[in-house]
Amino acid sequence: MENAGPANAAAAEAPTPDGPVWHFLVRPRWLGWHLLMVVSFWGMLWLGDWQFHRALAGNGLSWAYTFEWPLFAVFAVVFWAKTIRDEFRIRRGEMPDPREVAAEAERLPAGVTGRVQAAPVQAGAGSPDEEDDEELSAYNAYLARLNAEVKDHGRWHGLR
Amino acid sequence: MRAAVLRYRVMAYVTGVVLVVLCFVGIPLQIAGHPAVANDVGVVHGILYIIYLVCAWQLARGLGLAAKPTVIMLLAGTVPIMTFIVERWVTRRFINPALSGQAQPTVPVR
Repeated sequence: MENAGPANAAAAEAPTPDGPVWHFLVRPRWLGWHLLMVVSFWGMLWLGDWQFHRALAGNGLSWAYTFEWPLFAVFAVVFWAKTIRDEFRIRRGEMPDPREVAAEAERLPAGVTGRVQAAPVQAGAGSPDEEDDEELSAYNAYLARLNAEVKDHGRWHGLR
Repeated sequence: MRAAVLRYRVMAYVTGVVLVVLCFVGIPLQIAGHPAVANDVGVVHGILYIIYLVCAWQLARGLGLAAKPTVIMLLAGTVPIMTFIVERWVTRRFINPALSGQAQPTVPVR
């Protein structure tokens, strides 16, 4: 089953030429990440335990760190889980690859993004003889940008 | 989005300043035999760093950052002066491009 070719993979797994999507998890680069995660998770729990014993021994300051280290350990696990979930989404094409988006943003001049250029100019585009009017096209780009912003509202919704 | 950026910036500077005080005032005093400053400031930094983690994490998620820049952002709060450097880098590299694409400009862009 683990060696199942693309033809045998479940449709939901969105097979790629390299096999099922989850195969990236067992590549050396990702195994390194998993190892780092396990070591840091247990390391942080160990540090919390050490602080706990120091606190019991009468070091009042250690009480804060007794709770802080396990919190960091939990945070690391959440980070790890979300990163893996994002990677699945990127590989299934449900989410743009942040590395590619960042690279694209760097290639384009400041203030211009691919998203805006791709957005259709909807509000009252001028007649053909007005097309090269710099101010009007700037205004249309501005309207398109506002339109794109409203469309993407859901994406930022949780942050407001 | 702007609120998340502001929260991150505030926490980056507050955490950074407290860490600088801890490392360049508290630790020398501790070595000189006065541990009170390092103890108190250390606890304050510990609490602030948790808040910083949450703010930096939220912004990283909002910007859709990859794992590597996210880790750099999160760990910056533990290295003296690093929060200031990373905050500038994140602003230039990720926040400004995202804001110029998402937010309404005050002047129409030509």
